[in-house]
Amino acid sequence: MLKASVDSLISLVALTKNALQSFIYKLENEYERLTWPNVLDNFGLLSGQLNTINKMLKNEKTPSFRSQVIIPLVLSQKPDDDLTVLTEQRVPVFSHEIVPDYLRTKPDPEVEEQEKQLSTDAARIGPDVAQVSYMLSRLLYFSYFISNSWSSRLNKPSFNPGDTNALVAAVAFGKGLSKCRPPGPMAPGHPGQGPMMSGGPTLQQVTIGGGGGQQAGMGGPGAPQQQGQPGKMPSSIKTNIKSASMHPYNR
Amino acid sequence: MEAPPVTVMPITSGTINMMEYLLQGSVLDAALESLLHRLRGLCDNMEPETFTDHELVYLLKGQQGNPFILRARRSLSHPTAPWHLRYLGQPEVGDKSRHALVRNCVDVAASHSLPDFLNEMGFRMDHEFVTSGHIFRKGAMKVVVCNVSRVLVPGNTENTERMSLSHLVELSVLAPAGQDTVSEDMRSFAEQLRPLIHLEKIDPMSHM
Repeated sequence: MLKASVDSLISLVALTKNALQSFIYKLENEYERLTWPNVLDNFGLLSGQLNTINKMLKNEKTPSFRSQVIIPLVLSQKPDDDLTVLTEQRVPVFSHEIVPDYLRTKPDPEVEEQEKQLSTDAARIGPDVAQVSYMLSRLLYFSYFISNSWSSRLNKPSFNPGDTNALVAAVAFGKGLSKCRPPGPMAPGHPGQGPMMSGGPTLQQVTIGGGGGQQAGMGGPGAPQQQGQPGKMPSSIKTNIKSASMHPYNR
Repeated sequence: MEAPPVTVMPITSGTINMMEYLLQGSVLDAALESLLHRLRGLCDNMEPETFTDHELVYLLKGQQGNPFILRARRSLSHPTAPWHLRYLGQPEVGDKSRHALVRNCVDVAASHSLPDFLNEMGFRMDHEFVTSGHIFRKGAMKVVVCNVSRVLVPGNTENTERMSLSHLVELSVLAPAGQDTVSEDMRSFAEQLRPLIHLEKIDPMSHM
């Protein structure tokens, strides 16, 4: 069972190493073509692989590696070709120098002391409600301050919903175009509205039955609201179609 | 003339029913530049394309209530290009969760005798306007940023007047009926344009 788990661990670690290698290669050589989403993909891949390794180690069927001991049986100063090939040129000699690094099970004594100190300190400090709430209130204050100062600089509105509705209505069914007496409020900030209204008849476009649409300028008919909205006055429109209808594109 | 729709089907007996998925918004002229920059970054890399079109909307009134509407569009920047005739159906009232306005759409190209032909058929021009602006493309999605101007004297497209100080922004996709992933893609694209503009499904009937 130990051998099987060690083999699977070796394969997973090999996968992770390959992923890391290709990522480093990409970063060093192809960084001009690299986009942030690609980098994130690579990081995601690595984190997934680390997760797999963790899961495998936590698996109940895996024997605890902590209880196993590795003892070097033979140390030599001669370079070992097999070892060199196996470790891809990284460990040529299985000698006294590499043993403390590669076979280490505990941290250095000084480091171990510091860690013990820190963990006793951490255990000593209990949760302090007053301090935590004070820090939270400071955080809140900073976040409000930042959002207000930044938003006042960036908060100039870049679109006007009233304009949106007016434009959509104009394109969809011609509200504000050609019928000249628009039924609802026009888009705000429209400066040309005043002078247009005074010259009302000038802007009659489709004058069914009105005649003289082609005359530029003041040829407007005297019945500006003859056709109004198409849906509102069906009867008058019908009669107009029956008569000889004049329309702007008369030949 | 705006770039032809992504698919232009010939009218044969076996046409696929094309639906237009639409989201609309507007942007103030002051913020137009930043919107164009953002679109240039988000959309496919191509030469920025501008257009100036003159659209005429024709109505055929029958005996019953709703008139039949056809939209004829010609390019003022390419006067020899063919006219573009489009029919748009009623928006589909499907599930409310669909994020875009969906309506049936039929597009054909037509020759320069189109207005005369429509008049002979009995259509009457209801209104016309001139739009000019920019068009961007991202895959199958088309983004149009344009200003709408009214034509002051009928038939004279030189003399126009801006309708408002905003540009209309439209995100549209032409796809066969029944593809609901399209509206998801459109919504995620629209999210990327916030908070500069809000593209949303605007029901034209609600502003009648």
